[in-house]
Amino acid sequence: MSETRKLDLAWIALVLLSVGGAALGGGPDADMGVTVLIALVMGIKVRIVCDHYLELPTATRRIRQAMYAFCYGMPILVILTTAFGNTLAQMTGALI
Amino acid sequence: MPPAAENGAFCPQLFHAMPYATTLPASPPAAGRIPGSKAMWVGIFCEVTEFALMFAVYFIARAHHPEIFRAGPERLSLLAGTGYTLMLLTSGWCVARAVHAMRASRQRSSLRWLLGAFVFGLGYPVIKLFEVRWNLDHGLNGSAGVFIVTYYYLTFNHLIHVFWGLLGMIWVMLRTATGSYSAQEYSGLESFAVYWHATDIIWLMIFPLFYVLR
Repeated sequence: MSETRKLDLAWIALVLLSVGGAALGGGPDADMGVTVLIALVMGIKVRIVCDHYLELPTATRRIRQAMYAFCYGMPILVILTTAFGNTLAQMTGALI
Repeated sequence: MPPAAENGAFCPQLFHAMPYATTLPASPPAAGRIPGSKAMWVGIFCEVTEFALMFAVYFIARAHHPEIFRAGPERLSLLAGTGYTLMLLTSGWCVARAVHAMRASRQRSSLRWLLGAFVFGLGYPVIKLFEVRWNLDHGLNGSAGVFIVTYYYLTFNHLIHVFWGLLGMIWVMLRTATGSYSAQEYSGLESFAVYWHATDIIWLMIFPLFYVLR
């Protein structure tokens, strides 16, 4: 498959995931399953941009690892904050 | 780059025999490189750090006010949020195609892709203008609660980064139009591209946090 074709397919995938992900917002209040799904969609979209547009697979190891850490850290934090929000609130009580 | 013999040495005979070519097959980037420039990556990691801190504020605020944050997305326009996402993704795709066209020595095509990227990128502040007006009409101002304040704080910061990106895009379009980039030297264009994609990534995180997650 040509490189331009891959870029085009990546864009189509991103658009479909974005529209599909937005549809999750139209539903009733989220339970943990929906939160995980939203985090998963976020992670997949960010990974597609990293791999196909930012070209991280060919980047130096440090850049690649730092960006992947940020990109995977966010969806994980979404899930953790939903699952352990009370604990986080207790830990940060002095801040607010 | 001058043509080289198989052992890597410069070969003048081959150089003179090579016909003038207006397009070249795009060569894939080498592994273990720095896409764009080091300076741009310093800027990108500053941007990532800045937003990481703001995301930390979001998560802490959400932990303290879960009900307000669960009800928050209903107050915002999902249509606007989806519109930003599609504009930025399409603009990012155009920029990626522009870089690819430059690698293939197709400068005119690269410029056309950049123009497309600019038009879609401009869609972001245009939607923002309508969304802010809509928000204010619905009472979503700076005193509308912790969710809206966090939302304005993060999204306006992102808007500033988009503005920088649009200014950078004008610059690389001018450079491309004047023939300053080639298939051998396009690090300026690529540096802009990585900045624009990084700004895309930040938005792909902001969008579900404020418009979707309940």
